[in-house]
Amino acid sequence: MKSALRVKPLVDRLEEGILALLLAFMTLITFVQVVLRYVFNSGLVWSLEATTYSFAWLLLIGISYGVRVKAHIAVDIVTNRLPKNTQRVFALLATALCLLYAGLMFYGSFVLIDRMYMLGNFARDIALPKWLLTGIMPVGFALLAFRFFQVGLLIFKGENIGPADEETLLGVESSSNLIDKEEGSK
Amino acid sequence: MTALFLILALFAFLFVGVPVAVSLGLASLTTMLFFADQSLLSLSQKFFHTTQVYPLLALPFFILAGSFMTTGGVAKRMVDFANALVGHFRGGLAIASLLACAFFSAVSGSAPATVVAVGSVMIVGMINSGYSKSFAAGVICNGGTLGILIPPSIVMVVYGAVTETSIGQLFMAGLIPGLVMTAALIATVMVIARVQNLPSKPSAGIKVMLSTGREAVWGMLLIVIILGGIYMGIFTPTEAAAVSAVYAFLIAVFVYRDITLKDVPSVLVDSAKVTVMLMFIIANAYMFAFVLTTEQIPQAASEWIVGMGLPPWGFLLVLNLLLLAAGNFMEPTSVVLILTPIIFPIAMEMGIDPVHLGILMVVNMQIGLVTPPVGLNLFVTAGVAKMSMEEVIRAALPWLLVLLSVLMVITYIPSISLILPEMMGMR
Repeated sequence: MKSALRVKPLVDRLEEGILALLLAFMTLITFVQVVLRYVFNSGLVWSLEATTYSFAWLLLIGISYGVRVKAHIAVDIVTNRLPKNTQRVFALLATALCLLYAGLMFYGSFVLIDRMYMLGNFARDIALPKWLLTGIMPVGFALLAFRFFQVGLLIFKGENIGPADEETLLGVESSSNLIDKEEGSK
Repeated sequence: MTALFLILALFAFLFVGVPVAVSLGLASLTTMLFFADQSLLSLSQKFFHTTQVYPLLALPFFILAGSFMTTGGVAKRMVDFANALVGHFRGGLAIASLLACAFFSAVSGSAPATVVAVGSVMIVGMINSGYSKSFAAGVICNGGTLGILIPPSIVMVVYGAVTETSIGQLFMAGLIPGLVMTAALIATVMVIARVQNLPSKPSAGIKVMLSTGREAVWGMLLIVIILGGIYMGIFTPTEAAAVSAVYAFLIAVFVYRDITLKDVPSVLVDSAKVTVMLMFIIANAYMFAFVLTTEQIPQAASEWIVGMGLPPWGFLLVLNLLLLAAGNFMEPTSVVLILTPIIFPIAMEMGIDPVHLGILMVVNMQIGLVTPPVGLNLFVTAGVAKMSMEEVIRAALPWLLVLLSVLMVITYIPSISLILPEMMGMR
């Protein structure tokens, strides 16, 4: 938890900033849509599509961020019981498989985008081509591959990459954090 | 053959320690590459398509609403109110803890979050008042499972999205089973309190009841907005979720003033993190389900099971055992995502109601949350109560009897789940 207090590199803060903005945008636009419908009897045509594409961007930018903050759950009851050296071999193997996954998904989504580019279709309600809006997908998987590569390198060098931070993976980190903070300030 | 490879690959990856999401995705990708003529393109299309599934949009919004409610002192106020209401009974603090868990479940869709919110206040409180540590931990650990049964519930949103079952109906259907479960737990505490002669507090009096109630009411209004809004057709569950998030933000920042505007970005980032973690699993599970269906595996499994001539009650029993076993090893959303594509068609063939099936799965997942080795509530309780995992497991175990009995009742009396949506004319 203390790492949060350290000054974060610019890239990390950029990642978090984008995620926070996308989530806030999605929430507000959906809320505004409800208000417009009931109070002003009107609506924004593009709101649904803008929300779903923001959701896609949130996910695809978020997955590599998730690797960095160890948010992705793994079943570790088996690996935890192994001797240290075997654990490291398993961790390397797991990371290699993750890289394979990111590579295959990058390839698949790249072909998808290429197809979309050729077809040249536009989104339904937003004046942007589909390939551009979906284009975050290969980017996201390239970033994911990069993060997995980083993790693999750390494990290879012998640094201990623990399992996902228990509290982070439960999604309760914020609360317990703030409780600590509150108690600290009293 | 294909089915065998798909399942074996999934378990091999999980075993090596590959994250659940990646295991699901990689098993699907490799199966496709080796056995099917489907291209990687169609799988990535499936992945992307998940983010365009409208009901799933409710997830980030409910998570955000829950975050604002957890971060602010909403739980503290609910605990105060529950204490004022039932503190004067024998074992009052434990009963109040369960009541507070039920209250908080109505603003949060997550069980571990409920444990943290209520447990961080109540476990210490109970121990200081002379309850044993393991009793306090057991109450909170099990009470916290209400988080996914009492609406809003993240597991229900996922089940509804995957099976195209109405999320509004699922929410309504979860209400009475949630109350039954709360009542069963409270009744158990009352019996134990008699036997062990647990302490009670002096009655708080009507005045305190009203004043704490007035404080807590802002938080509790949330479920009224959600269920009322969906029921009256004012908005869809997804819109209800967005409205809850904005409402929770306004309450936490401007009414309770527990968090300042400066804290909002970090609440957003945390919610985004949880959303991404869940959605990554879901998107890969959609690919997994896609491979299953293109290979016609659910149909084959369905024919096989139906061919065995199992009566529906027997099927439900087997189903419960399967879900309980799976719930022991994985967290609720993953179990629902992996098993639903196979179970759902079979259950429909057997004439089981989709809403009832959903509630059944949720209650099974509740039990999975408090059973080792992978019970999220156990981990969280251990953290909050500063106890070892072994201690918490032993503390939570006796309560399993209560949960299992309620599961049986809910399994074999479908009307407990279905009566509310039926009365509301939603079906």
